[in-house]
Amino acid sequence: MGTEEESRAASAESFHPSNEDIEKWMASAFDMAKDALENGEVPVGCLMVYNISEPKPSPFEMFYMVALDQLLDWCHHRNLDVKSVCKQTVLYVTVEPCIMCAAALRLFNIPVVVYGCRNERFGGCGSVLDVSSADLPQTGTTFKVCVGHRAEEAVEMLKTFYKQENPNGDQTISSLLQIFFLCIFSPPFLFVFFFVPPPFTSSNISWRHLCYKYTLCRASFQHHFLETLHKQF
Amino acid sequence: MEPQTKRWKGSVCDTDSWVPYPVLSDEQSQEVGLIEAFAAPILDKKETSRLVRELNSVYPLSGLQHIKRVRVCQKEGSPHPLEVLVCRVSDAPDMKVISIDSLLPSDGVRCNGLGEPFVVKVPARPPLTRPQFELASKHWPTSFHEDKQVTVALRGELFSPPQKAAMHAYMMSAVAAARAAKKMGMEPVGAVVVDPSTERIIAVGHDCRADHPLHHAVMVCIDLVARSQGGGCYSFDRYPACLTSLTSDAFHNEPDTDASSQPYICTGYDLYVTREPCVMCAMALVHSRIGRVFYGNTAADGALGTKFRVHSQKDLNHHFEVYRGILSKQCEDLNVPTAT
Ligand SMILES: [Zn+2]
Ligand SMILES: [Zn+2]
Repeated sequence: MGTEEESRAASAESFHPSNEDIEKWMASAFDMAKDALENGEVPVGCLMVYNISEPKPSPFEMFYMVALDQLLDWCHHRNLDVKSVCKQTVLYVTVEPCIMCAAALRLFNIPVVVYGCRNERFGGCGSVLDVSSADLPQTGTTFKVCVGHRAEEAVEMLKTFYKQENPNGDQTISSLLQIFFLCIFSPPFLFVFFFVPPPFTSSNISWRHLCYKYTLCRASFQHHFLETLHKQF
Repeated sequence: MEPQTKRWKGSVCDTDSWVPYPVLSDEQSQEVGLIEAFAAPILDKKETSRLVRELNSVYPLSGLQHIKRVRVCQKEGSPHPLEVLVCRVSDAPDMKVISIDSLLPSDGVRCNGLGEPFVVKVPARPPLTRPQFELASKHWPTSFHEDKQVTVALRGELFSPPQKAAMHAYMMSAVAAARAAKKMGMEPVGAVVVDPSTERIIAVGHDCRADHPLHHAVMVCIDLVARSQGGGCYSFDRYPACLTSLTSDAFHNEPDTDASSQPYICTGYDLYVTREPCVMCAMALVHSRIGRVFYGNTAADGALGTKFRVHSQKDLNHHFEVYRGILSKQCEDLNVPTAT
């Protein structure tokens, strides 16, 4: 038992995406964000990549892209242990996950999170709180953070989105960062990060509208997910 | 029957067995901290107002506005009745020997009437609570703008007996849900969301993390509240103890009629939870704009007082009041393994 546990721990320790991986998968995340922007959705892209190199019967290193709400199903269907899959999974997202999502990532034992720009309002990987590395022995495992990949571009997209939504609004970064981060009632929580600029959070639109909007967003994500998967194989 | 009365007393009505204490912000909970300063005795009482005026212009003590400049001498039987704060030790000029002459430039303050300086410790920032004020005042007189509600809350006396009885009943529902979770092999945590304006329970939920690692009691409960408003993302139908007041009026209400009064899922609602929420749940409560949170016991990784104070975290766009200690004994007992 001991040796197996140890080797697993060791592989989790050394598990880190290469620069090419980051380049490639962040490009996918940015494509998703761009797509969302073109469809009037919140331009935040997020995907999870599971790297199985251990069984290696295949000549190729295989990557599966999995969204977190599908992660459980996906594992169950393949009779895989969720925990061990998560330990080999990298989350790529264009914007820093909020405090809640960062905690959720810990609870899923995701070891590495790569993100583009910081989220000064809600960020849980150092901007508001550092949940990713905090000493919380009962809240899953800590995760490594790679930050700054194409950060300006991620901010630029959010800015553009904000301008579209509020043509008369004041387009300063600080007001941009007033965004409300609604990711809570999105069942896959982690894979759609939902931004809504301030006018939308006031009483003129209830959370229910956000949920509806979210549902659309989720559908488009799944569509995209399948498409990307298709391209991969 | 005698035993039943006892039981009823013990489980439902015994509101004296617990005390709700507020979980305050870092600034309100930590000690105010002390910094060193030079003070000097006022030898001639009649010079006091002139000395204060002149010292204020030479050493304005900016950032220490809460400090009173003059205090009554603490030593009994001292020849001089008053002492005045001269300056921070860090603001003082370099001196070979500490003396009042080297502290004060000759043109700014006429030192007659002042004795030789000595070092005192003064509170570094204004006290925010009565305990902080009392501690700070031991060192040097300090002004204090008292928040009466905080003072009363810190004494555990904020809630009236009828309010406590209601809190007791709500937490009992949470405890019951926690017991149901425990029976199913989940973590023994239960939560209840209440609308305090109507005194109606909106949702009861418990931990379901054996099914999904994120289905903590608070998350379950918030999703059930969303469901009561026509939303929600999960089905907890297979858990009989996870309930929401999905009444017929909720169905018949036009979505837009209460949309304006219900901008967020938990606006104006109170949460009762048997154990301090973790950081994920605490942030979910921020996102859903909970009104107040009442919990039984602290948790090692708790984010409403233990590891973090998410409810009073600077930079976040929603803050809320938190009280701990509600039915603490019953909540604590949930963690004891049951002999079956
Ligand atoms: Zn989030
Ligand atoms: Zn939790």
